[in-house]
Amino acid sequence: MVDLAILSQALPAIGTAAVVTVALTLAASLISLVVGALSAAVQLGGGPIGYALSRTYVSLMRGTPLFVQLLVVYYGLPPIGIRGQAFLAAALAIGLNSGAYTTEILRAAILAVPRGQLEAATTIGLTWGKIWRRIVLPQAFVTSLPMLTAEFTIVLKSTPLASVIAVTEMTYTGVLIQSRTYSASEVFLTIAVGYILIAQVLMRLSRSLERRTRRLRF
Amino acid sequence: MDWSDIIPYLPDLARGFLKSIEIALLSAATALVTALLLTLASATGNAIVRAIVAAYTEIILGLPILVLLYVIYFVLPKFGVRFDETTAGVLTLTLYYSPYLAEAIRGAVAAVPVGQVEAARMIGLGELSILARIVVPQALALMIPSATGILIGLVKDTAILSVISVEEFAYVTKQVVSHTYAPFETWTLVAAVYWVTLALFETLMRGLERRLSRFRPKVEFH
Repeated sequence: MVDLAILSQALPAIGTAAVVTVALTLAASLISLVVGALSAAVQLGGGPIGYALSRTYVSLMRGTPLFVQLLVVYYGLPPIGIRGQAFLAAALAIGLNSGAYTTEILRAAILAVPRGQLEAATTIGLTWGKIWRRIVLPQAFVTSLPMLTAEFTIVLKSTPLASVIAVTEMTYTGVLIQSRTYSASEVFLTIAVGYILIAQVLMRLSRSLERRTRRLRF
Repeated sequence: MDWSDIIPYLPDLARGFLKSIEIALLSAATALVTALLLTLASATGNAIVRAIVAAYTEIILGLPILVLLYVIYFVLPKFGVRFDETTAGVLTLTLYYSPYLAEAIRGAVAAVPVGQVEAARMIGLGELSILARIVVPQALALMIPSATGILIGLVKDTAILSVISVEEFAYVTKQVVSHTYAPFETWTLVAAVYWVTLALFETLMRGLERRLSRFRPKVEFH
């Protein structure tokens, strides 16, 4: 039922595709972090318009399937002159989707910084920029770290959806091999193990990061 | 492109939408029951049962739902277990979401103050009525916010079932797009329908939470 010869033939291709999966995870996570930080900043300090914009973005991203968002982005790019960029479309769609969750994580972390510290900082004459840079953001980053790495594990688990727009990451490669060789068990069980392993690496990295940044907490 | 090109296909889209709702309701029900069984198994079972539940949870946490779907739909038949598309889809959603829902149930039960249970024992209530009249009603209200988030994920993931040709909303949309040649407009319309539906679901659940927690005393902890 599991043919080892087929498995050994398929492994190099799956290995190469695993690199694409990791690259897509990193690209989408980066987009998520940047967009999430901007959206959280606009929501907390952008007045009523910024607040409404950010809330609409979060609600829209959380209220529609990523599968649908992926296709909207994929078919929305060619009219603005970007063609044949499936990887870019996937990174954008997954990143924008995850950015909504990152917004909420960062917002909560920023609001968790004790008010007294802000009052104290204002009292000793720190400027607004300095308060953000040296008091709010470093602490918010440390408190949000476990949630953020959990979010990036979810990003990893979303990357297989890129297979519907033919990004040759692990799952799409699996589908291609399977349609050529009819070796579903070898291929899909292998990539299942592949995802679980990458997720384990991510979760361990997260735990060690959390341990290392704990001393930064006040 | 003219949006009116989509109009002739609205009945098809509506059919797909209803199929999605049907799959979502069925999967949510089976996932909730499975989650309850998982919670009970890890609460009362022996060490081996607990280890199995823990391993299952760990695997699901690292496994993308699309890969789980492929394993159930393409790999299991090789071992003689065959399902039709809809059953494979419902099974995937159930297996994937039940550990998350089990966590929500566990968290809600743990959040019911232990002092209340002790007090109930002191005044002579039986274990069953403690469960039925003190723990469950409060845990139900407490689990709604997290369960809502998880169930919204479940509803959204019904769209993934289109890759194995379950004729739900996203699948029908793909077919409609192949007739209208208006992918961007059609997918945007479909996204809007998902959005409104899920916003409605969220509002309903918030109402349910208010209703279920109407007996909760307003206590300030800070």
